[in-house]
Amino acid sequence: MKNQLNFNLILLALFGLLLFSTSFQSLHAQKVKKEKVRLKAQYIKIMDGEIYLNIKVTARVKRKNIKVSNIDLTIYNKVNNKKIKVGETTTNIDGESKFVFKSLNSIKPDSTNTYNLVILFKGNDIFKKAKKNIVFKDVNIRAKFITKDSINYISATLIDTNKDSLVGNQSLTVQVQRIFQPLFIGEEFIITDENGTILVPIEEGIPGIDGNLTFEVVLNDSDNFGTVKAIVEAPIGVPIVDESTFDQRTMWSPRNKTPLFLLILPNLLIFSIWGLIIYLITNLFKITKS
Amino acid sequence: MKNNNKNSRRKFLDKGVKFSLAAVVGGIGLSNIASKLSAKPNKSSGGKIELMTTDGTLIEVDSTEVQEINLPSKEESNKYNVREGFSNRKFVMVVDLAKCKNALKCQQACNKGHYITGDNAWLKVYKMQESKETAPYWMPTQCQHCDQPACVTVCPVDATFKRKDGIVLVDNERCIGCRFCMAACPYSTRVFNWKEPDQGEITLNVEYTPDYAGSPSVKGTVDKCDFCPHQIVKNELPFCVTACPNGVFYFGDKYEDTVTNGEVTLRLKKLLEDKAGYRLMEGLGTEPSVYYLPPVDRLVDFKEGLDKYKKFQSTEKS
Amino acid sequence: MKSNDKLLKDLAPKKFGKLGVIWTCLLIVIIIAGVIAYIDQLIKGQIVTNMRDYALWGIYISNFVFFVATSFVGSVTVAILRLTKNTWRTPVVRIAEIIALAAIIMAGITIMIDMARPDRLLNLFIHARIQSPITWDVIIIPTYIALSFLLLYFPLLPDLAILREHFKKDKPTLSKWYGKLSLNWKGSKAQKNIQSKSIQIIALMIIPVGLILQTIDAWLFSTTYRIGWDSTNLGPYFIAGAFVAGIGALVTVVYIIRRVYKLEDYITNFHFDKLGKLLVLACLTYLYFNINEYLIPAFTATEDEAIHLNTLFTGHYAPLFWFVTIGGLILPIIILLFKKGRKPLPMFLIGLIVVIASWWKRYLIVTPTLLHPFLPIQGVPESWHHYFPSVHEWLITSATLAMALLIITILVRYLPIIPIQRTADEQEELLKTNKNAEQ
Repeated sequence: MKNQLNFNLILLALFGLLLFSTSFQSLHAQKVKKEKVRLKAQYIKIMDGEIYLNIKVTARVKRKNIKVSNIDLTIYNKVNNKKIKVGETTTNIDGESKFVFKSLNSIKPDSTNTYNLVILFKGNDIFKKAKKNIVFKDVNIRAKFITKDSINYISATLIDTNKDSLVGNQSLTVQVQRIFQPLFIGEEFIITDENGTILVPIEEGIPGIDGNLTFEVVLNDSDNFGTVKAIVEAPIGVPIVDESTFDQRTMWSPRNKTPLFLLILPNLLIFSIWGLIIYLITNLFKITKS
Repeated sequence: MKNNNKNSRRKFLDKGVKFSLAAVVGGIGLSNIASKLSAKPNKSSGGKIELMTTDGTLIEVDSTEVQEINLPSKEESNKYNVREGFSNRKFVMVVDLAKCKNALKCQQACNKGHYITGDNAWLKVYKMQESKETAPYWMPTQCQHCDQPACVTVCPVDATFKRKDGIVLVDNERCIGCRFCMAACPYSTRVFNWKEPDQGEITLNVEYTPDYAGSPSVKGTVDKCDFCPHQIVKNELPFCVTACPNGVFYFGDKYEDTVTNGEVTLRLKKLLEDKAGYRLMEGLGTEPSVYYLPPVDRLVDFKEGLDKYKKFQSTEKS
Repeated sequence: MKSNDKLLKDLAPKKFGKLGVIWTCLLIVIIIAGVIAYIDQLIKGQIVTNMRDYALWGIYISNFVFFVATSFVGSVTVAILRLTKNTWRTPVVRIAEIIALAAIIMAGITIMIDMARPDRLLNLFIHARIQSPITWDVIIIPTYIALSFLLLYFPLLPDLAILREHFKKDKPTLSKWYGKLSLNWKGSKAQKNIQSKSIQIIALMIIPVGLILQTIDAWLFSTTYRIGWDSTNLGPYFIAGAFVAGIGALVTVVYIIRRVYKLEDYITNFHFDKLGKLLVLACLTYLYFNINEYLIPAFTATEDEAIHLNTLFTGHYAPLFWFVTIGGLILPIIILLFKKGRKPLPMFLIGLIVVIASWWKRYLIVTPTLLHPFLPIQGVPESWHHYFPSVHEWLITSATLAMALLIITILVRYLPIIPIQRTADEQEELLKTNKNAEQ
């Protein structure tokens, strides 16, 4: 009897503890649970042009990917275990941000000539803090177009700026700028040879405004070097001829460009008929007066 | 004596258990209520706004939850004359019928993007079969932006016009609603707003331009596919091209001889030559800007699209 | 003078009897109902009609075409008969002019009812594109209204002067109005000169303008690609159709007016006989064009053409098509080829059937073509595959027809239906020639 009593009491106590702990937890859970953000960053270098980071911040909320806008990010340069602040940026309405470096000299590489950057998000009421590391070595692409035996080629060389060493075995893409998406010249990926060069023939008859074509040689999102793009202008395109009938007199043009026969003939008819009608109306007045 | 004691103890325990259970449950309940009360957000509701959700339903939203954004459209529209269009461009579309499975994602994206609330979508996927002996296929059809447009020729007030870049647009502020353009179009691609469109307030404070059709739609005027100049100006592809999961739509500039479906970019002339591209009702002489690639070597059987086929519906009605 | 007194007594406008008042009130009620329905259409939009994206034109347009066709009667009776020196036309010319004017005015109003944005009417003038057939319509209709009005007004001047005298005693205010409108007509040689020259000019002008009007009306359809519309035959087809509709309307109205105003002495069986022969001629011409339009395409029909012909011959529109063709065309030809058929009462009945068939014929021109476009009708509600006018459309269309009848009624009430002066002149001529013959 006593044992059963004790047993009951113990059960009661355990039960009570369980309930109390769950209620404690639910009390605790009433505080807002912060969401995780995903930081994506791409280092992009345009030869003789901008050097920047393309940052995209997203979060998975309620099983949907949303863009995280209007949050502050800080970019640090990690050198010899020290974090030097490089700059700040805020994501726009699409959750994206473009952070432009004034020049590559504003950041410093480490002893292996590798640049180490950290993008830090301090967190806010809704989102947890997050960070993203970007590691890259500086590399240049020297690209030009050459003509050999009346065939046009794009030639490009990949050079590591550290020791001016040629970088072989990397995938480059050669493309011509078009609206919406560029058009690949040759295969999508062309591997640099042991001299770090590629030579791609350009197909015939690519149209361009006034015959000018803008080619790009791109090292796309490589693990070691980020994204590097070289731009080559070449006047080897077929000039574009505007074939629209917009400036011509056609049946479907606006009224300031009506076909001449429609301008002349109907108006002639209308004016002569209405001329006669007006003459008849004047006759009515003549009858009144006589 | 002992029995009485046992009974009274039992009774005591009984009551005790019941009381403590009640206390614990009550405690949890109270704590929940207390936390909810303290966690309530301190927002002041300043009125409601009627908005349209991404699946086309009208909802009411607190005005404080709506954020003002700076739409670039107004400035970008000033970059070019809306009636003239982009210079040195001629936009064309290529529809690969071999890949179309009637997924209808194109139609949904177009309906949402242009706030289409009528009964007739601007982009429709037709179930086609020329004769009993020839193969059936799915054919997405929208305005063909013809180079010799019958609709533009018959418009009495210059409300529909053909631009230099090939796009045919409608000026909903000039249209008188005579519907002659609809009678003239052989592709049946124009729709009419027979009543006030139920678009809610999605287009508050946006200045109307003909190059974003449907924003807003105007009662008593004609609407149709606009080839999305409002996307082109952002260097983005039209809604249907991006939405298609099967890469059916290619879009691009004929002068650049290049079209893309967002993933694959190809030379236009070569594509049309290799895949025997053709245009709809070529014999009428309308010179459409939309090319079709015949449904040869189909990736997916035609029958796969039949369960999505709705003969009497092309828009979602809330 | 005695004969002139009798003429005046018979032909001067008389006050409306009970029947006239009831008739006018009925028309006004129908018009008011139509106006209310139209206001509702303006507020709610054209969703109150049964037109949708496929049947995008309905009875507003077919009604419009009917009015344009009927207005051709002015050109035919007045001008063509005049230039071919058919003197028997005198008693019926004014009625013909009145019908033509009423019809063309209502045509202008009806087409504005079909516009979904009448608040932007001025765009048709400010931004007009002359490449568009609608612009040609916008030009030709006012031109024809002006000419029809002048064609009615110039010959009316002497009669207005007579009426001014006639009503001087009993109705001084009415007399004053007649006087103002008669433009100081005194019958002087100079005035008669101007008048006859003007009438000759109008008669010469109104024939080509009338033909152009009917042709442009046809071109609203044949400038599209649609099957049933894209026909090289449509211009002459519409002209012949206008011929039939106009004379049918004339016969009907002449009979009614003759009965009501007891004008049997002036509009005799002879006139009906002549009108009957004219109507037969019109119907035969129209039959010829119908054969070209419907029978010959059946000979070598493309698939689309075959669909169109089948809906008319054996399909959904077959009963209407055969009523219109047999009842409205073949039957009149057969009956009117016999002298007995050209008596007043059968003429009236035939005229009535011709007018009704003409109205439904235009419905058959507009609707079936729109419901079989090149691409299949898919992705729209089931009701969009058919078209039958809604209550609003019927009310508004009835109101336009009532308005046309009201214009005719008012003009008939206040104007001498048969030209008084001309009839007097002709009777004098007749007396003179008789005297000369006797001598």
